This record gives sequence, structure tokens and C-alpha cells, in this order.
Amino acid sequence: MILVDRLDVTLSGKKILNDLSLSIPDGVWSCLVGPNGAGKTTLLKVLLGNTPYSGSVTSNGEEVFRSHQRNVAFVPQQPHIPQGITVAEYVTLGRAKKDGWGNESVKSRALIAEILELTHLYGMHKQLVSHLSGGEMQRTLIARALAQEPELILLDEPTSALDLHHQIEVLNNLQFLQERGVTIVSTMHDITLAAMYAERIIVMQSGRVLAEGDAQEIIHSAELRKAFDDRINVFTLDSGRPVIVAKKDGK
Amino acid sequence: MWNWKITATSAALVILVGLAAISFGPINLSFAKILKSLLGIHGGLSGQDRTVLIDLRLPRALLAALVGAALASSGAVYQSVFRNPLADPYLLGAASGAGLGATIAITNTHGDIYRLLPVFSFVGGTLAVLTSFFISGKFFAEPQSLLLSGIAVGSFATAIQTYLQQRHSSSLRPVYSWILGELTVANWQIVTWSSFYILMAIGILFLVSKQLDGLMLSDEEAFSLGINPNRLRVIAVAAATLATATAVSASGLIGFVGIVVPHLVRGITHRVTNRNLLTVALTGAAFLMLADLGARTLLSPAELPIGVITAFVGAPFFLIVLRRRRTVQS
Repeated sequence: MILVDRLDVTLSGKKILNDLSLSIPDGVWSCLVGPNGAGKTTLLKVLLGNTPYSGSVTSNGEEVFRSHQRNVAFVPQQPHIPQGITVAEYVTLGRAKKDGWGNESVKSRALIAEILELTHLYGMHKQLVSHLSGGEMQRTLIARALAQEPELILLDEPTSALDLHHQIEVLNNLQFLQERGVTIVSTMHDITLAAMYAERIIVMQSGRVLAEGDAQEIIHSAELRKAFDDRINVFTLDSGRPVIVAKKDGK
Repeated sequence: MWNWKITATSAALVILVGLAAISFGPINLSFAKILKSLLGIHGGLSGQDRTVLIDLRLPRALLAALVGAALASSGAVYQSVFRNPLADPYLLGAASGAGLGATIAITNTHGDIYRLLPVFSFVGGTLAVLTSFFISGKFFAEPQSLLLSGIAVGSFATAIQTYLQQRHSSSLRPVYSWILGELTVANWQIVTWSSFYILMAIGILFLVSKQLDGLMLSDEEAFSLGINPNRLRVIAVAAATLATATAVSASGLIGFVGIVVPHLVRGITHRVTNRNLLTVALTGAAFLMLADLGARTLLSPAELPIGVITAFVGAPFFLIVLRRRRTVQS
């Protein structure tokens, strides 16, 4: 369980997160939604532990800042694409904390083969990462995060650069993880997809939490519409699945 | 992963080129006699030939190897720390600062300037890099800002240097020959002190080289893999700068080694150079000994500045790398 209590984050004189409190249960997929500038990415970085804050953020009772005991994976929105490194080597970097840099244990080798299979990267493990397409790159990033065998995985817009088919593929990979008890916190602009996969939704606006709770309840809440200045419509399909669409000209 | 065959090949190359470097010159010495002298076996070189080997060729080849290894490995490290394949060891103003220091030494001291020159250029280079760090301030937020302030500090130091040169036009020639790089002043004293700093710096770079792979990722990802990216950058840049400043103060400005060699090794191994830092250092040593051999023999008995040879090979190579990068990207 991660508990965030009265969190304030100020970056270069600007207040990004303001008196923010929330809880993130273990083994659950929580999704941060809200307009640009709401502070979603900053909150992810705080949860990772490398951004200074005031207030308290504890994971199982331990303050997270600069804590290297935790095993947290981070998948950024815009990855640095390294030159001269193959898919298999890149995924192996995920084992660095467990095996030590530059080493690879026998167990890791087997695990990586399994992960490459799962993420459909097996045939291309000898290709250079810099030669991959957007969808393959995103799968490689997630494969590296999986190789970490994390307790918590943080993803910043994991689907924003992908076509629909690849979005579903990536999200299915994450669901596979979540079924194995890993806690997932992601940000997502596509609220329809967020409602489809995440169990909990946290609505943010201007560095504050407007609402948090069960995904299906939050989707139909007034707070979600308020976060987007009432510029979205929420429809329910016959199957009961919610669909969120932006209004055109306020209608 | 690490390819020991390529490393072994580059080590063999260092020995071969090293032997050639101490054997060829205005006086050619025989391989067999050199080996006998070096191993202390009876029947080696004697008299003048022995003096040429021990007091001239050997320190010069060793200094070339040290400087080549220093420039090549610090180039490779700068390239991965700044995520910029065209970064070179002189980037942060080390060269211009050292150049200014050397110019001050040459224009202001009387008598034996070469005794003070390494000290002046070492201090100048280090001060310039520290100033770049100090001005950029935002190094931790954005490595590229350090690059920009390095360029500004470098231009400033070059401007002062040019001003000093114009005021003391009589010393123009020694300043220029130093700027183009020279190993003619090599002696055992220089080899001893520069090997101390260079081997220490390269040793530190070897220790952190595997973790440098983590800097290929974003800072958040590196942190999640147990790295403190800012501390790692400071250690790597400090060690690479120490190696560069020592190399510059021992031998002047020898350009393009820091770019040519890492890219050559990368081209052969198709790998990130961090994992081949030993190969990079060895190849750098062989490259510079070979360049120095060219500098001594091409216009023999006259000598070409070694910087001319490395630039002659390096500049076209640099353009090929640029072009290839563009085609890969498109």
C-alpha cells in the first residue's frame, strides 16, 4: 500500500503538486487521468522516489525518497533511444539491479527469453533498438520493465504513440502483469481505455486530486467532467462499457 | 557483450605499432636488437643507437600511447554521458583553457618555457572545465546546457589567447606548433607524471564503464535500476577531464582522436563503446603511435605536427560518420 499524505512538490519555483493526498492499494491497476499540466507525470516521479517533495509518501511504511530498497520500474513517455544496443541487451539492462551491471545470471537469461516471448519480441532480439518501430519500441520498454520483476511499475502514457492495435497489445501485456500481483500506476489520456483496463481511477487537475475510486464509478462522476471543464461526454454502450468523447464547440 | 577477440587484436596492434614506432625514423633500428635491449639480453643496441632508443624513441612512443588512450577513452565516455555521438574530449573548454595556459607560459616566461608549460596548460584546462560547470549550473537538469557553456567558455579562452598572441608576435611560432600538437618534447619525466594521472583517470573510467550503460536511458529509468545518474555523470566527466587535461598539457592539442577511435571501435564491434572501453583505449594508443610515426617519417628528416596527421585522417572520417548517421536516421 502506498500512502500519499499532504504532498507538495515545487519545481523551479512553480508549485506542481499541491496538498495532495491519496492511497494506492497493492496489486491493483490505478490510472491517473486529467488534463495536461495536472501534475500526473510529476506524481509518477515522486512515486518512483527521485523527485524531492514535502509531505509524506510511504510504501509499506517506508518513505520513498531516495529509497533504493524498493524495486520499482519506470516506463517514460518519451524514451531515449540508445544507439548500438540490441533488443536483448536492452531488456537485459532491467536485470542490472539484481545481477550487477555487466553481469547476467543463468536465471536472468531464462527469464529474459520468457519475457521476449511474452512481448512478441523473440524473433527480433538481435535487432538494434534504434531500428525499431514505435510499437516495437514501446514493447521493448515494457519488456525491460518486466525483466526488473518489479513490485510496482510506473508508466507515463504507455499508449500515446501507438495505433489502436498496438495500444491493446501493450495494455494486455500490463494486464498479464497485474494478474500476477504487480501494482501498476499509469497515466493515460485515453479515458475510455483507462476505464477498460484500470480498476481504480484518480482524477487530477492543477496539482490536486479531484476524485479517486473504483473506475466504473469515477467515469460517471461529476468530478471527471469538472476536471476537463465539462468538455467531455460520457456514453454507455449496450454492453455497459463507458465511452468518453470530447465535445465539439462545447456541445 | 564484451568481445575478447577484438580486444586481443587491438592489444596485438599496440605491440606491433609500438615496435614499428621505436624502430623506424631517421636512424632505423633493427627489431631483433631492440628486443634484445628491452629484455636486457646480451647483443642489443649500443652507443648512439641505444641512446636514440632509450632517451628518444621509447619515451615518445609511450607518451603517444598514453595520450592516445586518454583521448580515445575520454571521448567515448563524453559521447555516452552527453548522449551525443559527436562529443569530443575538448568539448568542455579543456582544450581552449589549456591553450590559453600554454600561451601565457610561452609569452610570459623567459628561458626554459617547456618546464612550466605543462603546469600552465593543465591549470588552464582544469579551470576552464570548472568554469563551464559553474556557469551551466543546470547540469543536473539538462546535460546539454553544460555543453553550451563549455563552448562559450572555450570561445572566451580562445579570444584571450589570440589577443596575447598578437601582443607577443615574436612567440607566435612556438604557440602555433604547440596548438598543432607535438610529441617532440617527450622525455621520461613527462612520461612518468602523465602516466600517473592518465592511468588513474582511465582506471576510474573502467570502474564506472558498465554503469554508463544506464545513462543511455532516461534519468528516471537509470534511477529505477539503482544508479544515481548525476553522481555517475560527475565522476565520469571529472575522470575524463583529468585524462584530457593531462594529455593536452603533455602533448598539446591533438584533435579528432577522441572521435575517430570510439567510432572506429563502434563500427567494428557494432556495440556501445562503454562495453569496449579497454578496446577503445588500446586502439587509441595504437592510432596515435601510428600517427606519430607518420609525423616523423613522411617528411623526414623534417617533422609534421602530429595534429596535422590526425586531422588529415580524422576530418574526412568525421564527415563519413555524420553522413552514415543521417542515412541510418532517414
